[in-house]
Formats: sequence, structure tokens, C-alpha cells
Amino acid sequence: MSYTLQFGQVTPYLGYLAGGAWLALQLAAIAFVLGWAIGLGCASTLHYGPRWARWPIRAYVVFFLNTPLLVQIFFLYFALPDWGILLGSFQAVVLGMSLNAGAYLTEIQRAGFNSIRQAEVEAAETLGFTRVQSIRYVVLPHILKVLFPPLSNQYIILTMTTSIAAIFGVEELTGRTYNINAQTFRSLEIFSIAALYYVVLTLIASAALYAVGRYFFRIKRSPF
Amino acid sequence: MPHLAIDNLNADYGATPILRDVDLSVERGEIVAIIGPSGSGKSTLLRVLTGLLKPRSGRVEIAGEVVNYTSAAALRKVRDRFAIVFQQYNLFQNMTALRNVTIAPTIVKKRNAAEVEREARALLEKVGLSHRIDAYPDEMSGGQQQRVAIARALALKPEILLLDEVTSALDPELVAEVLDTIRTLASEGMTMLIVSHEMAFVREVATKVVFMADGRIVEVGPPAQIFDAPQTERCAEFVRRILRH
Ligand SMILES: Nc1ncnc2c1ncn2[C@@H]1O[C@H](COP(=O)(O)OP(=O)(O)OP(=O)(O)O)[C@@H](O)[C@H]1O
Ligand SMILES: [Mg+2]
Repeated sequence: MSYTLQFGQVTPYLGYLAGGAWLALQLAAIAFVLGWAIGLGCASTLHYGPRWARWPIRAYVVFFLNTPLLVQIFFLYFALPDWGILLGSFQAVVLGMSLNAGAYLTEIQRAGFNSIRQAEVEAAETLGFTRVQSIRYVVLPHILKVLFPPLSNQYIILTMTTSIAAIFGVEELTGRTYNINAQTFRSLEIFSIAALYYVVLTLIASAALYAVGRYFFRIKRSPF
Repeated sequence: MPHLAIDNLNADYGATPILRDVDLSVERGEIVAIIGPSGSGKSTLLRVLTGLLKPRSGRVEIAGEVVNYTSAAALRKVRDRFAIVFQQYNLFQNMTALRNVTIAPTIVKKRNAAEVEREARALLEKVGLSHRIDAYPDEMSGGQQQRVAIARALALKPEILLLDEVTSALDPELVAEVLDTIRTLASEGMTMLIVSHEMAFVREVATKVVFMADGRIVEVGPPAQIFDAPQTERCAEFVRRILRH
């Protein structure tokens, strides 16, 4: 069996693929920011909020952590219209990914709240810090530092998860790769190139996150 | 007039009474050592004085002025007068040594940053750490961290310094450097309450020793009395036990 690599056939599509990569990046970024906000709200409610508010949050987290993302998006995309809620494919994917990431990010950020060092908060108190000053200067910098590595990982994971959007006809990187494959049948070439694009997306993000972590949080661990 | 007068102080954790009828009078410049078995309420006494735990009843006066522990605003005034150093240093991990010392004067007292920094450098030099000014706590030894914690406490120019077993978490070879720092402060006339298990040190620097048990002050006297001729059986037994080590 011999297969001759013919990258020449797929080079005209590089720009088209880059557009898909750009869409994947947007999907990941939006889902991350929304998921992070959901997670922050849920985690801080679990930590500081009233007892009754914990049950719905726990139920949400348990549900989303224990069902496949694909099923969650199917539900949003195909089942919600029965209740009169019509979502476009992009919207359904973003919403599903955000809710799913929100559950993970609730757990991650809860660990951050639990890691607050009470002794430092007390030290701040005896030095006369107000509650707001203590949060601003002692609690938040600590939480951010603790959370930075797992949040970074979550972002990288989300980048790769965006490929799920292809199933719903969103023409992001995987969707476009699939389209080109259907036209050229140069599978090996086109999927290799797609993999390379994903690597570039995640490596750039890793490098940027590493620089941020090192500069702001003195995190010395290398991402590679 | 005593510098610090504690009158009939009571405090609880939840429903459990911890401090019972504590009376203590401290003159300006005195070094009062507090000793006693584990769980006797030594830390709790210091926590009540700094306002970390609200007293149930009793009165604390500094230089004749009653300290008000009731509201958050009143508590912030208490914080100018007492400074506390903890066994585990409790430095802010996200700040350098210098920042640990400058932050309270800067954000709490809203003082001029350059002036605060000049003072902080002088304080860090005094505790022997001019060369570690830019180090983070996790880059320093326990003894160094504890000396930064002392400098941080002094930065607010407290009237009375409270030290809670500040050498207990340190390796033996690091204890001396911290004790030296405390000796210097003592020689400068700082009023101090020191909870310590370093009996030789207590005997050397304390002007008065307080023996506590079960949340009460059982015996108070000069070091010579407490260590050589205790008047109460509990104190005698404690001293016997601790000096045998
Ligand atoms: N946060 C807390 N909640 C409830 N009880 C507490 C708390 N902290 C201390 N106690 C109790 O209060 C009592 C006095 O404790 P405290 O820490 O003041 O003792 P101590 O004399 O400092 O002891 P040690 O020498 O072990 O430090 C103990 O019985 C302890 O169990
Ligand atoms: Mg104690």
C-alpha cells in the first residue's frame, strides 16, 4: 500500500482553514468567559451564600459533570424548540459549552475559595484592614494565583472541545476540515494540517498564559 | 497609671467560657511573659486584646483610656494600639518583605508612600533583613519570616506589642535571631506581652511573669518568684515539669 502525500492540493484551503481556527478561538474564548462567570457566581454563592441557594447549584454541577457535553448540546438544540426556544447552532454550542464549563469552573473556583488562608485574613484584620481591603489585597491575589493554572488548563481543554461544534454544522476548524476532506479526499494531508492549527491555537494560548502567570503570580511551572 | 489595665475580663468560644476573670496591670516599658499549659487561654487573651475575639465582659484600658471592642470602626482604633505577632508569622504570601511592612501604613493610615518605605527599610534593617527586602515569604527561612512579621507589626507604631509563641515554629538554630530582635525592642522600652516557652529567655527579659491555667491567672510575680519560689501548687508543678526539659 502506498500513499503519496500531496499537500499541493490542499494549500489553496489554508486561508479558509485559518478562518475556521479563528471561529474556534472565538467559541473557546466566549465559552470560557461565560463559564468562568457562571463558575465564579456559583462558587462564591456556595462559599458565602445562603444555605438554600446551595442545592440548586449542586444539582446543576452534578448534572453537567455527569452527562456528556454532546448530549447537553443536543438537548439545547433539538429539545428546547419544543418549548418554543429556538437556538441557532452557534448559540446552542456556545450555551452548551458555557454551561458545561461553568460546572467545571464552579468546582475549580470552589477549591480556590476553600484555600483562603484564614491566618492571613486575621493578620490583615489586626493591622486594621477593612473587609474590602482584606479581600482586595490578601484574598483575591491569593485565589487568583491558586486558580490560574487550573483555569489555564480549562481554557486549553475548551479550545479542543470546540470541535464538537462541527456536528451542528458550525463551520469552525473541524467543520471546515471536514468540508475540504469531502471535496479533495486528501484526508491525511488535511487532517494533519487541522491538527497543526489546533496545536498552534493551544501553544499560543499556553505561552501567553505562562507569561501572564509568571509575571503576575510568580508561577514558575513551565507549560510545556 | 498603668500602661495597660485588664479588669475582670471574660471571653468565650461559643458557649464555652475560655477566659475567666482575668485581671492584669502592666506598666509602661514592662515585659510581661505569659506562661501556662496548652489550652490555658494564653493565645485567647492576646486575641481578645487585639479584637479578634470579642470579650463577654470586663474592661481593658490603655493609659487610662477604655478600649472599645464593640463596633468595626471602634476596633480599627484598637488596631493602632496593639500589634500582634503570631506563631506561624502569617505574612502575606503574595507580597515581598518590604510590601508586607509598608502595606498597613499605606492603605490603613493612608500615609505618604515614600516616607512609609523609608521607615520600613529602617525597620527591616533593625531586624537584620536589609538584604532580603525584595524576597517573598516562601523564599525566606522561618526566622527571617518571623522577623519580617515583627517589622510589619512595628510599622504601625503600636503602643503595646503582643507576641504569641513567636519562636515555637522555628528550628532551634533560628530561635536566637528572633530572640535578639525582641531583646532589642525590650531595651528600647516597648511594652510587651510575650507568650513563650523559652524559659531561659523569659527569666532574662521579663519584668513580670504571669502563670495561667484553665483560663485564669493563677499567679503573677517577678521571674525569680515564679521560677524559684512559686506560691501556688499549680504553678510550682508546671515550672517543675517545664524546667526538667
Ligand atoms: N477557634 C476556637 N474555637 C473553639 N475553641 C477554641 C478555639 N481556639 C481555642 N479554643 C479553646 O480555647 C482554649 C484556650 O485556647 P488557647 O489557644 O488560648 O490556649 P493556649 O494557652 O494558647 O494554648 P497553647 O499553648 O497550646 O497555644 C482551649 O481549650 C482551646 O481548645
Ligand atoms: Mg496558643
